[in-house]
Amino acid sequence: MNNEELWQAVLGEIELSISKAQFITWFKDTVILSNENGKVVVGVPNGFAKEWLENKFNANIVKAIRNFQEDIRELTCTIYGPQEKNTSGKSIDMVKKPSQMAKTVDLNNSVSIQNITQQKQSFYQINQRYTFENFIVGENNELARAACYAVSQELGNTYNPLFIYGGVGLGKTHLLQAIGNEVIKKNPEKNIIYISSERFTTELVDSIKNQKIDQFKEKYQKISLLIIDDIQFISGKEKTQDIFFHIFNFLYQLNKQIVISSDRPPREIQVLEDRLRSRFEGGMIVDVCSPDLETRMAILRAKSSEKNFFLEEDVVRFIAENIKNNIRELEGALNRVMASCDLNKKTPSMSYVKEILSDIISSRKKKGINHTDVIKTVAEFYGIDEKEIANKGRKKRIAVPRQIAMYLIRTELDVSYPGIGELFGGRDHTTALHAFKKIDKQLKEDEKMAEDIKILKNKIFSFN
Amino acid sequence: MKVICTQENFKKAVFNTEKVTGKQATLPILNNILIETSKGRLRFLATNLEIGVFSSIGAKIEREGKITVPAKILSNFAANLASSESVSLEVSGQILIISSGRYQAKINGFDSEEFPIIPEPKGNFLLLINSAKIKEAISKVSSCIAFGETRLEFTGINMSFGEREISLAATDSFRLAEVVIALNESGLGNEYRDFIEKENSIIIPSGTMFELLRIIGNEEREVKIFIEENQIFFELDGIQLVSRLINGKYPDYRQILPKSFETRVVMKKNDILRATKIAGIFTDNRSGEMKIKINEKKLTINSYSQSYGENEAIFEEDIVGPDQEIVLNPRYVMDGLGTIHSTQVAILINNSHSPVGLKSISEKDGTVEDGYVYIVMPVKN
Repeated sequence: MNNEELWQAVLGEIELSISKAQFITWFKDTVILSNENGKVVVGVPNGFAKEWLENKFNANIVKAIRNFQEDIRELTCTIYGPQEKNTSGKSIDMVKKPSQMAKTVDLNNSVSIQNITQQKQSFYQINQRYTFENFIVGENNELARAACYAVSQELGNTYNPLFIYGGVGLGKTHLLQAIGNEVIKKNPEKNIIYISSERFTTELVDSIKNQKIDQFKEKYQKISLLIIDDIQFISGKEKTQDIFFHIFNFLYQLNKQIVISSDRPPREIQVLEDRLRSRFEGGMIVDVCSPDLETRMAILRAKSSEKNFFLEEDVVRFIAENIKNNIRELEGALNRVMASCDLNKKTPSMSYVKEILSDIISSRKKKGINHTDVIKTVAEFYGIDEKEIANKGRKKRIAVPRQIAMYLIRTELDVSYPGIGELFGGRDHTTALHAFKKIDKQLKEDEKMAEDIKILKNKIFSFN
Repeated sequence: MKVICTQENFKKAVFNTEKVTGKQATLPILNNILIETSKGRLRFLATNLEIGVFSSIGAKIEREGKITVPAKILSNFAANLASSESVSLEVSGQILIISSGRYQAKINGFDSEEFPIIPEPKGNFLLLINSAKIKEAISKVSSCIAFGETRLEFTGINMSFGEREISLAATDSFRLAEVVIALNESGLGNEYRDFIEKENSIIIPSGTMFELLRIIGNEEREVKIFIEENQIFFELDGIQLVSRLINGKYPDYRQILPKSFETRVVMKKNDILRATKIAGIFTDNRSGEMKIKINEKKLTINSYSQSYGENEAIFEEDIVGPDQEIVLNPRYVMDGLGTIHSTQVAILINNSHSPVGLKSISEKDGTVEDGYVYIVMPVKN
């Protein structure tokens, strides 16, 4: 029988011998603290209970305990505080308000810890690996890099807000983090926050739940550089947009720098409030595109030399030629080559690299996808019949999807123009060429088209 | 039991104990006052199991004994007694017979066996403080106590101990008041130094402090303070008050007390109080805002309400330091000014987002008095 069981048994016995009111008043929140050498120490919540149990009930309790444990001779009480909730180590609310104070106080002190950790977190959310120095500049991202660099040199005075958009794995995050790192390096005392819009939303929800919305706003209003990654996830979240709008305005009026990234330009973000959209568009908007071949090669060289891994020129070209869309994939391929060579103790010869990357490259291109899959996907996407696409009809409803299908078959499956003409009911190869050129041109001009193509490509590659 | 005491003592003892009674129905005996003879004196005891109080008075004891009677009946009877020399109390069975002059009452009492035992300090006193100082300190800091606060430590008054002084402080996180009371060497108990080594900050429930305030009344005397086993005891003139302490750690508020201030304005307390009250009229809700602007040796207070209009008051005052502009809640400023009793007050500002300090100005030499500071957080917009 442990102490807890013993005390429960004793309480059960005592409960019968005294009134309920008395029992509740004096025995609530009591506990046996120790039970040694015939001495029992009972913890009680207050001085009154202590006096009462020691003086009035002592004999009864000892008697009750002896029923279970005969060697008990003595009972004493001591006051122990059942710790009241919400008391430990929480910092006082008012401490958080003035930002100045937190900086002057002693770091060891618990009250200021919240402030300091906040600063540190904001510091740590920036990965020191990403700097301007190791960002490889090509035609595709020259402007974006220049804008970011200018911003990091003079916060709030050049391009504010700075809006960067571009597809996945093209270096948006690298640029954003580089701004952060540059600012930390130059002005360590500046308060900066780097956050993804998704985390921003989570923090906001938490603060609403804990009724700390004011502190949440204050935290953001104190900073000199706000970097928000992947802002497109804010779309449709009204309250987040609302709070963000206020923070944005507040910072903007104080000339604090705001940098935002997204996978598409502001006007393409669906369910974004107009006032936010116009504000995003009010600053500098730059895009990062897919890197061209030379840039991809430069990236590969830089990455491999960073890791002391030597690659032949033709190998670099081979990788760069075959992995086109995305820098992250490029890095992945390089890592794969390095790991395989390392594990198998082989030098990265052209034939070996081809072998290693064969499944990546083929999965990107062929993976058992043929033109019927493409046509089927396109037809489904535009809600027309598969057979109609190959027909002669020239209605726009059908002509445009047909051209898109031709374009996709050309780019993704590398089918020749005459071949494409053949697939679409024996058309001339110039028709296919025209379709390709038209869509290719529209892609650059029409955001809607680019969006559609992107979705279609995803659908095709997830096609089983 | 049969005793005779002066009516004055009797009334005082009843007054000092009547309020500390329990409201809970589970233990009806807590509604009673216990009257007992003890060591040649007559003691009145009451408790609600949070606070306990006993008041002992001199009396001529003819027969020892004790009884408990309902506090309300006893106090209403005592309050309406015509003044006369003495009161005699006699217990007959479960009835307390009180006679004073032409009046006599028989109050139905209860057995005293069930009455809780009120803890008494076992060791020596820790501190000896003048009651007027404590009273002033409590009434000053009590304006900042947070009531109905979920965080228990804010519902109490923090008492922290230094080598030669103690500080009382309270805050509701929007404003904070701190009084420092200097201690005399003779006022320190033998174990004081050992005590503060172990524990230098406690939280006393505000109810206990208000009861102490009531008991101190207008008389000036020495208050002995004991702290033992998570309980605090106050002893003065035969009255003893015991209370549990609030468990928990009081926030280290000293970190937010500005060490120095940039700008200092010294002006008549009534001037700023009046301007603040007027500013409070022109605000839209309780958490209104007023703006204090200090510019070219002028202090401007204004407020603006969409529904009611606006106002402005300009003072040319003794201003030292740079220009300032700060937004405050007028209600908090009023509360703070209410705790300052000098004719002139110092308004101390650092910048628009640091707390503002209010301090009193010495009547003798016009310097800013330390020892009490009331700080208000600015309103953020």
